[in-house]
Amino acid sequence: MKTDFKKIAMDGVITSNPTFKLVLGTCPTLALTTLAMNGIGMGAAVTFVLICSNVFISLLRNVIPDKVRIPAFVLIIATFVTIVRLVLDKFLPSIYESLGLYLPLIVVNCIILARAESFASKNGPLASAADGLFMGIGFTLALTLMGAFREILGAGSVFGVKLWDFKIEFFASSAGAFFTFGLFIAVFGFISYTLHTKHKIKAYRLKTAETAQTQTAEEV
Amino acid sequence: MTDELRFYSNSPHAKGNNSTRKIMLNVCLALLPACVTGCVFFGWKALLVIVLSAASAVASEIVFLLIMKKPFSKIMKEFDFSSLVTGLLLAMCLSAQVKWYVPVLSAIFAVIVVKMLFGGTGKNLVNPAITGRVFAFLSFGAIMYGENAYAQPFTGEILTGATSLTGLLQEGAMPNNLDLLLGNVAGCIGETCKIALIAGGLYLVIRGILDWRWPVIYIAVTGLVSVALNSFDFNYFLPSILGGGLMLGAIFMATDYTTTPDTTWGNVLYFVLLGAVTAVLRYFAKIEIVSFAILLMNLLVPLIDKCIVNRPFGYVRAKKAKEAK
Repeated sequence: MKTDFKKIAMDGVITSNPTFKLVLGTCPTLALTTLAMNGIGMGAAVTFVLICSNVFISLLRNVIPDKVRIPAFVLIIATFVTIVRLVLDKFLPSIYESLGLYLPLIVVNCIILARAESFASKNGPLASAADGLFMGIGFTLALTLMGAFREILGAGSVFGVKLWDFKIEFFASSAGAFFTFGLFIAVFGFISYTLHTKHKIKAYRLKTAETAQTQTAEEV
Repeated sequence: MTDELRFYSNSPHAKGNNSTRKIMLNVCLALLPACVTGCVFFGWKALLVIVLSAASAVASEIVFLLIMKKPFSKIMKEFDFSSLVTGLLLAMCLSAQVKWYVPVLSAIFAVIVVKMLFGGTGKNLVNPAITGRVFAFLSFGAIMYGENAYAQPFTGEILTGATSLTGLLQEGAMPNNLDLLLGNVAGCIGETCKIALIAGGLYLVIRGILDWRWPVIYIAVTGLVSVALNSFDFNYFLPSILGGGLMLGAIFMATDYTTTPDTTWGNVLYFVLLGAVTAVLRYFAKIEIVSFAILLMNLLVPLIDKCIVNRPFGYVRAKKAKEAK
């Protein structure tokens, strides 16, 4: 079976974006998006774990018994999370500090478990790696966008660079996290809906044009 | 809306000439004494906050409707002054010393996010003015409630310590009850002069817009629970009902039509719970918390409406009907 990488990429980043469309992994989304830098750090960590665990689960999918698959998945994911933690602790202690508790919590992150369950355990390793990569990119983009929005409004800076003194602390608080999340889901839903309808209209026009052509050809 | 009549009740129907616009205009009138006393007490700064808040509330509603492609003439025809009420109420519970952008941003947040996004007048889940104030509190807390946040009335002397209510909550220093009643204390623009608020409330009661029972229940329960929390010292009764924003919240905010239960017993439960929540939160949080209490209880209103339903006339409960057989 040929793998449709374009579809996997579109799924991961837009059509089933893990944060805004599947609404998975809300805990780090709400807690860590106070700063844009956190989003990138968390996104990179999750992407790494996602790719590796997807590949391993995909390779082992015929060996793991169906009844104990969840513990097996968690074991594989936990291994990679531990690797990420140790590496970050050694080489990037500032990011390790700012992510704090949410780094070990990647083990139970819904995105990774959901992709393992619904994609990696049914597809080959290459497709699973691509799925992990694009899901990770979608997650990173979502977190970074939300983080930048909240950082600009809530702290008056972006990526740690000070813009102005004016700040609305509401957006830095947890109430602002929920508010921003809802706002982004709404805007993202609107954009993807518009794209979807445009795509549909285009496909419909193509189809009608084709049928019209064939009809005229038949008539001639 | 005004020209779209829907009847949900059974006949006979009485035809009145009340409309949303008239009710809202009456509420504006009732708020006038509080606005005037606020301006007298806190000077031109208070007037600026009131004008900015009201203007941005009205403007944001009109701009939102224009973005939603509603023709301007129709907007003007259907304009029901509820956003003006929101803007005025929001200004009432801000300090006169705030920066100019605090009322503007809070009013925009209150009208756009809380009211218009949920579908306009009568569709809001929580009271817009209260949410605007909570937004201001969470966003600009340091500016609003830090040092130099409140001015003494008349003299304009900037207060560096706590306001009357926070003084009561923290140290147990008793403020003068007469000063609290007349408004000779530091505080937000509209909440200090209780006489003006009561006058506005009485006007609403006389015009049949406000049911006098609900504010009375709310205020009385808050006072009694405060007394109970302070080991039944009845000296706490008057300061706790006259202090802070309780009077403003009880008369103008908690009684908003949209965010109160439909039934009488539902209303009783709502206001009793509201009073208890206010007093308990005040006692433990040590800050003025009326707005948070009202916001919290507003969110419980759909639940109360679901649990407490009016019994139709002649209805017998299923269990009793079985016994009768």
